[in-house]
Amino acid sequence: MSLTGTHEVFASIDEQALNDILRAFFNARPRYRHYGSPAFVPATTVNETAIPAIAFPGVPGGIDWRIRFSTPVIDLFEQTQPLLPGLVLQPGQFSLHTDIELCVNCVSRKDTRSDVANARASRPNRPDHVTCTKLGVFGIGHLDVWNNPGGDGAVRLRLDSVELVDIKPDSLETVLECVIRMILDGILSSIVLPLKALRAGAFELIVSEGPEIEHNHIQAFGNV
Amino acid sequence: MSKILAAIDEGGANTLLADAIASIPTLSSSGSASLGPFSAGYSVHGHFASGGVDLIAPSTVRIQHLRFVWQMTLSFGIDLNDFLPHFCLPRVCVDIPCVGRVCTPKICLSWPTIGVSVPFGDFVEASADFGIDVSLSAGQWSVQIAVQNLSQLQFGPATAGILFLIGAAITPLLLFIPFIGPFLAGAVDIILASIGIAGLTGFLGPILSPFLAGLKVPVYQQDKHFKVLPSSGPVDPDVFIELDAVSAQIQHSDEDELVLSVDISP
Repeated sequence: MSLTGTHEVFASIDEQALNDILRAFFNARPRYRHYGSPAFVPATTVNETAIPAIAFPGVPGGIDWRIRFSTPVIDLFEQTQPLLPGLVLQPGQFSLHTDIELCVNCVSRKDTRSDVANARASRPNRPDHVTCTKLGVFGIGHLDVWNNPGGDGAVRLRLDSVELVDIKPDSLETVLECVIRMILDGILSSIVLPLKALRAGAFELIVSEGPEIEHNHIQAFGNV
Repeated sequence: MSKILAAIDEGGANTLLADAIASIPTLSSSGSASLGPFSAGYSVHGHFASGGVDLIAPSTVRIQHLRFVWQMTLSFGIDLNDFLPHFCLPRVCVDIPCVGRVCTPKICLSWPTIGVSVPFGDFVEASADFGIDVSLSAGQWSVQIAVQNLSQLQFGPATAGILFLIGAAITPLLLFIPFIGPFLAGAVDIILASIGIAGLTGFLGPILSPFLAGLKVPVYQQDKHFKVLPSSGPVDPDVFIELDAVSAQIQHSDEDELVLSVDISP
């Protein structure tokens, strides 16, 4: 069976190559894995992205927090990586695994009268008492693709669901899964990989079918 | 192994190679060669047009009717001294009373060299078998097809009229020569006729065949340090991957395809 089938051009990238590209992305731009509010990350740099503190009445400056995750490992259907029992990898989907470190700056207010005298010596923009937790995260997602008749196009990974490891009670797990899914999906959706890069610049390709996940690859068909 | 695969079938290869061949800049050369008894300087330039592509496993790309469209200017210098005898007025001396002996100098006439430039053009085509070359040079991967075998050159229909054009350019100039012009013009026409098509293609073949025999067509060119994403600001620098290995071959299944395989790493 030919690679091109009924089309003129075929292009594919296997899951290991896709993971290599993601690793290259996160190595070059670590800030897409490291986020923190001002107590942790005063300003956005190549290494870290500054995000606002969580505003809450009565908490001066808000709740400072930080989230970091390891470079995700993608498994394109068919499944070759372990998954949590609650997740099933269906045709056209990918799975994702990453480790997340979630930290908060656990401060005690120092605005009683006896504390006021020492206020000038405090360093409000520095973490006071950092408390962290690490979570293993598994997720399932799909490709978000676009292309045009000019041959331009791109792929994004979109996350549909996540499962966390060993969180009790279940309601807390559900809440955290929702928050982490939104965060990870927001991060992944900002990574737009051009189709030209996914085929290492080979040939012209005006896509007529795909890109789609098939047999551990992302593949596309089209014409010159 | 981290793999990117790209394949193109014969239909796509026709389009791909037609574009690649059309983008080859105009080629040119100059020199001199013998056309019958004449020595002619030439300058030639031309461009390629692709023909039908046939992919043959494991590593041959055949292009039938590969065409080189050329324009040539031939510069002839016809030295009439080669055709006509030297003519000298002998020295003449006369005795003149009261003056003495007076002599005229010996005067020899040299026949001129007539220069003629003849522009003309046509095409030549052949079937060419290309091999596939993959190389890494100066940090850039290159896949190109290079001619390995070339069929006999087939000249376009206008080539047959070139001798007529040469005659038509030379004859009027020769006719200006008093007395012997018509004779010379007739002689040149006879010489051109004796050269014939075989002599003309024997003249043009060695000039034009190097263009086809040396043809290389780029198929793939990318930096080894391959840019996946360009920088989009001071905190979002370029993203690169390494193209560690590139290979290309023709695969035969239910159809023939040119398959490019690229190994990458972060």
